[in-house]
Amino acid sequence: MTVLQKSAWSNLAMSMVVAMVSTAAILHLASRNTIGVIYVLVCIFVPIAMAPWLYIYHRKKSLESRFDEREKMIYKRAFIVSAYGLALFLGYTCILPFFVLGGKNVVKVYYLPLIFIGALFAAQFVHSAAILVMCALEDDDG
Amino acid sequence: MGSDNLTNRVRRLRFDNGEMTQQQLADKVGVTRQTIIAIESGRYSPSLPLAFKLARAFGVSIEDVFEFDDEL
Repeated sequence: MTVLQKSAWSNLAMSMVVAMVSTAAILHLASRNTIGVIYVLVCIFVPIAMAPWLYIYHRKKSLESRFDEREKMIYKRAFIVSAYGLALFLGYTCILPFFVLGGKNVVKVYYLPLIFIGALFAAQFVHSAAILVMCALEDDDG
Repeated sequence: MGSDNLTNRVRRLRFDNGEMTQQQLADKVGVTRQTIIAIESGRYSPSLPLAFKLARAFGVSIEDVFEFDDEL
């Protein structure tokens, strides 16, 4: 297994864990209807919750320097695929409620951070999956 | 990633150079073994710097390694 494939697997696992923990934290805060003074704690919590995403980003950057030119090409192609994945995710999550609930209905505020976490996860998931699929397809050809 | 009209003699040259393994060649030019496999099978066309590195690894000119046929 190449460094590219190893990094894709580890990023996939890491992003799943981070997304689950972040979602659980947001849902917990939502259940307590956190407003007012506690809102300050939320403001502190959000950067802490986002820290693992930054770790993933920096880890990717450091690993990227170890990729050879073919792996960099796969990585860039997977990035383009992940951009489509992100657009699709945002499109569905933002437009689907319009058709399901109707234009004059309302959605709860806690869906906003969940959409944000979901978007980060979707982009990371599609990127890692695309890398693994592209590598697997090349291995099959060989 | 590959080019239909670019052929190469990497596999032949490896064997002509003391039956060099794909891993040894990969280490010599600074890529992964998978990249050498992809180049040999024609699924990946290397960049010009990598093509030069491959040629120098075998001690031949770049045109002895790669052949471009624009009539294909």
